Amino acid sequence: MTIKEQLIENAKQGKVLAHKCTGCGLLHLSTVYFCQKCGSKGFEDTILDGTGSVATYTIITVAPAGFEKYTPYAFVVLQLDNTNLRISGFMAGIATPADLPVGTRAKITGFDERGIIIEKQ
Amino acid sequence: MEKVCVLGAGSTKYGKLPDSIADITTQASISAIENAGIDPKEIKAGYISNVFGVADKQVHLGPVLMSNLGISDKPSLSIESACGSGSVAFREAFANVAAGFYDCLVVTGVEKVTHTGTEWTTTYFAYCSDFFYEGQAGASFPGLFASMARAYLTEFNTTEEDFARVAVKNHNNGFLNPKAHLQKKITIDDVMNSAVVASPLKLYDCCPFSDGASSVVLCSEKFAKEHGNDYIEVIGSGRGGSPAALQGREHMTTIPSTKIASEAAYKMAGITAKDVDFAEVHDCFTIAEIVDTEDLGFFEKGKGVQAVREGRTNLNSDISINPSGGLKSKGHPIGATGIGQVVEVFDQLTGKAGARTVKDAKIGLTHNFGATGASCAVHVFQSV
Repeated sequence: MTIKEQLIENAKQGKVLAHKCTGCGLLHLSTVYFCQKCGSKGFEDTILDGTGSVATYTIITVAPAGFEKYTPYAFVVLQLDNTNLRISGFMAGIATPADLPVGTRAKITGFDERGIIIEKQ
Repeated sequence: MEKVCVLGAGSTKYGKLPDSIADITTQASISAIENAGIDPKEIKAGYISNVFGVADKQVHLGPVLMSNLGISDKPSLSIESACGSGSVAFREAFANVAAGFYDCLVVTGVEKVTHTGTEWTTTYFAYCSDFFYEGQAGASFPGLFASMARAYLTEFNTTEEDFARVAVKNHNNGFLNPKAHLQKKITIDDVMNSAVVASPLKLYDCCPFSDGASSVVLCSEKFAKEHGNDYIEVIGSGRGGSPAALQGREHMTTIPSTKIASEAAYKMAGITAKDVDFAEVHDCFTIAEIVDTEDLGFFEKGKGVQAVREGRTNLNSDISINPSGGLKSKGHPIGATGIGQVVEVFDQLTGKAGARTVKDAKIGLTHNFGATGASCAVHVFQSV
């Protein structure tokens, strides 16, 4: 499996496949191949829980092709618990900002044609 | 390093244009060449910036332009860097003149997309994001900037009306620009009552999809002096990068590439942000202009919004931001925008800006980025 395929399989299990730099310990999303901080190419796989809080989001009403049937929906940037990492994804069923204050607890629950799926906890 | 000058500049009108992408590329280039007072045969090469030529069935635009100018033997290239394509093409042209490879170039940016409709453009523009994480999850470009806007609203004392003030200001400027796509004044209520595109951004927080072409003639100082027309000098050039996806940025209310590019440009020019008299900045959405003016060093982080409230970025106030009307009112033909900004600076510094003239201006700045600022270029110009 490619790294992206592994990331997708982990997302389907509610997990995030991350890369931990063996040089300096900094965590990266697994699609990164060199450490942003120390430049090392040495990484070890780290499986993180896909839980966290909403760092920011938007509610989309004018959608790209293929997403019209889902509107309104949220695009969410999720701050993963106990890490420096954020990851983005799709959240269904969000109509107004009152539905999703910044800081709302959320988790990754899958992956499909809408990319990484995030739901409220 | 040779001193580099802009000797001529011209644009088509921005908006919905009936002519083909090849035709508007040629029209803008001819206007720049005539404005420079040179013969096309004096041009040594062409630089083209364009993103979606495929939408009008014409990529590889360079040789088409060179052929139309009667200089088909001259080399050309096309550059794509999303909405920042124009400033990147300008930078590469600048570097080649500065290095002495060429003494005279034409640099032309173009886009032609309005015939494709909102769904096509929304979909294809999203391909400029980090698609696996963003576009694939349904993020549109308004949606990505809306995510920055939500972060800004959360972090700083700001309201959606504050964002609307940016749109009102830029439309006031664009009303004075006969080339503007949306040449009309609007009110805060117009913005607040317009349809939500991606919360908290509404239709009038967003720039339009535009057709248009802009072109400049770039040359060595020696070439400019020999030709006798009005010219301006490029005194600073900087580029920078940011994590491609918003999720990778330390602060989602800062665009790192803007800081990196502007610091490099200020250093080359030997100036600070305080020396800039006016700036054409990348206001693809109202929130972007606020973030830009902070990252460029005009205002402290979180204070850009207060500056807008106090009118300090209005035409002929503390620092005139987007005297052309910006992307918001003048329009955003994405491959042309970065060159269009240089056209505005040229017109301002050579006394051709008419009713929207920034009084006594000596130093102008252009700031243009690709996507959510994943790539960025900043240039500083000085009147001669």
